[in-house]
Amino acid sequence: MSFAVRTWDGMSSRARLLAIFIPAAIVAAVVTVLAIVLLGPPFLDFLGANMPLVRFVVAAVAILLLTVPTAFVLIYLELKVIARMNLRVGPNRIGPWGAAMSVIHGLKVLSKEDFAPTGTDVTVFTLAPVVTYMASVMSLLVIPFAPGLFGQDFNIGLLFFFSMGGLTVVGLLMAGWSSFNKYSLLGGLRSAAQIISYEIPLTLSVVGVIILAGSMSMNRIVLAQSGSVLDWFVFKQPLAALIFFIAATAEANRTPFDMTEADSEIVAGFATEYSGMRFGFFFFAEYVNVFIVSALTATIFFGGWTAPFNWPWAYNLNWFHPLSIGILGWVLIVANVVLIGTVLFAIAARLIGGREWGLWDAMGLGFLFLLVAVAGLVGTAGFIAFDWVAGLVWFMAKTYFFVITFVWMRATLPRVRVDQLMGFAWKWLLPASLLNLFVTAAAVIITTPGGAR
Amino acid sequence: MSFVPGLGIAKGMALTMRRFFAPKATIQYPETAPDIAVRFRGRLQLLYDELGNVKCETCFQCAMACPVECIDMGGFDTIGRFHVHWGAAEQYAERREKSALRKSGRPVPDPAYTHFDAIDTAPIDAILEKYDWDQAQMLAILAAIQDVYGYLPVAALKKVSQVSGAPYALIYGRATYYSHLRFEKPDHTVAVCRCTACLMAGASRIARSLGGALGTEIGQPPAGGVALEQLPAHIPGAASPLVTLDGTPQPRLTATAAAALGRTLAGGPVA
Repeated sequence: MSFAVRTWDGMSSRARLLAIFIPAAIVAAVVTVLAIVLLGPPFLDFLGANMPLVRFVVAAVAILLLTVPTAFVLIYLELKVIARMNLRVGPNRIGPWGAAMSVIHGLKVLSKEDFAPTGTDVTVFTLAPVVTYMASVMSLLVIPFAPGLFGQDFNIGLLFFFSMGGLTVVGLLMAGWSSFNKYSLLGGLRSAAQIISYEIPLTLSVVGVIILAGSMSMNRIVLAQSGSVLDWFVFKQPLAALIFFIAATAEANRTPFDMTEADSEIVAGFATEYSGMRFGFFFFAEYVNVFIVSALTATIFFGGWTAPFNWPWAYNLNWFHPLSIGILGWVLIVANVVLIGTVLFAIAARLIGGREWGLWDAMGLGFLFLLVAVAGLVGTAGFIAFDWVAGLVWFMAKTYFFVITFVWMRATLPRVRVDQLMGFAWKWLLPASLLNLFVTAAAVIITTPGGAR
Repeated sequence: MSFVPGLGIAKGMALTMRRFFAPKATIQYPETAPDIAVRFRGRLQLLYDELGNVKCETCFQCAMACPVECIDMGGFDTIGRFHVHWGAAEQYAERREKSALRKSGRPVPDPAYTHFDAIDTAPIDAILEKYDWDQAQMLAILAAIQDVYGYLPVAALKKVSQVSGAPYALIYGRATYYSHLRFEKPDHTVAVCRCTACLMAGASRIARSLGGALGTEIGQPPAGGVALEQLPAHIPGAASPLVTLDGTPQPRLTATAAAALGRTLAGGPVA
């Protein structure tokens, strides 16, 4: 027996772990440093040479990562808002005000068995939720969140969006077909029929906006609405906005058009055979779709990231600009405000509340309070200093207004019958959107000096 | 007001939005305990219907279903005449009563059995043996018991329940369901023969007028202590139409005389 073997046998399990971990960490650190030194400059050169590509990859990854918290927030909003509208309290046990509820839901779904029933076409069965989810994520790429903050500014942005919306249908059909279940197949076909039917008025209603804006690029459409509230397309195209909102509700499979997976019915449509995270992906996709549709409504008809009115005082702050004190200055201010504020809060709480307040309770509460206050301060500074922060705030405010409207509708409206659903699309929405398109085009021709080309 | 498209949707949305800000109905249970008396154990009372009658039919189903057999029921049957009882006699109140009795030195009655007349149960054993103690034959068993005693003594039903193993509630329910089974020994039994000869002689008319006078019918429970029955067979040599009172053939009756007999038996004025 060699010395090494005897030493190894004599060690405890913790010592063995350390004996492996410490040399590995040293080696890893050395390798990392060497890699940065040797490979870093050429890599950075490569990145710099391919800046658009890098930008796109970063944006795509960021948007992919954005969808997860978005879906969590939307699910939580839905639980909470519908609960309040039902005179209930809603989730309130996990996290502050139950806010971690949807995250726990997600973890639960993740921990479930990834199950494919006998007879399914496993490849298609597995790919279907991915296709649906990716279609939603791809749609997010063209949405301008703020000036300069978008995945990609296509000149055919809207067209890209609608084509990606059409891809959702493929995912649903794949799910219905591969499930080896007649109910799933029927559900998939039903939802495909619904989504395709509503895609037509959805697209036609936007054509009027495209004519007015003169572009299919989302950024151009937003810029065409910049100015005041009255420049929003919802006032120039009210009928189109209404049709778009109704058709978008059907596109996102939301009540009252949630025939696709009517959750109060026994058979869950195309998702009947799905369980675990595959099912979870469908529902993530649904909530991401709600966000997308709300964002699109806000972008096309409600001015996107533009402020509803001008802020004459915000952008003309000559006496103070947030960036003038530098990053270090902000860090010092924030740190000191939090520290001193916490202590002051604790002292005040002890003075007022007396023995009722434990010292650490008061300190913790003060810290939280100050954290919120400082976050508000920094946010306000950003709002004033950077127009993308202001744009993001306006965009999110408008988007979440529509998200809550969708939830509100779900809490209120009963589900429509299938034939009413299809009849409404073809007999009312389609003629109305054609009429809107015709009137818009005629108005543009009449008002354009010298006639439209 | 004419139809306004979307008005219903607007009304509904307004309602849900009002509800959003309305006070919530949820009681956060472990933190907020509802205001309940310490010894409250649920609703321990019998409910009354809109006419003020007790809804409980003393069917014993609750007592049967009770997993810990803590329900002890005593009450009157649906007709309201007979005391019925479920469960061990030694419930709290009775036990206390009994111990008080013991201390008093007087003889201790058994409260569960004092309400019934003691009966000779030998015929019941024979009947049950004939039907092989089969619960599925309960209707036939009950009919046989009624043939022997003239009615269904509660003690007999208890005996059947004990011996055959059928739940008392089921036996009791069946006995109350069929109208030809009765729990009361009628003071008088009027029987009308309905053989062909008697029918030709007007037995139907006589049965109708008897029933009208007595307030009952053939096949129905007795009224006023008088049961109206059909004679199983014509008594040889008796004249048609044949009517028996407590087994004694009556002289030939007309419908009017039959009604007078019925009114006499029912205790009304004799016309």
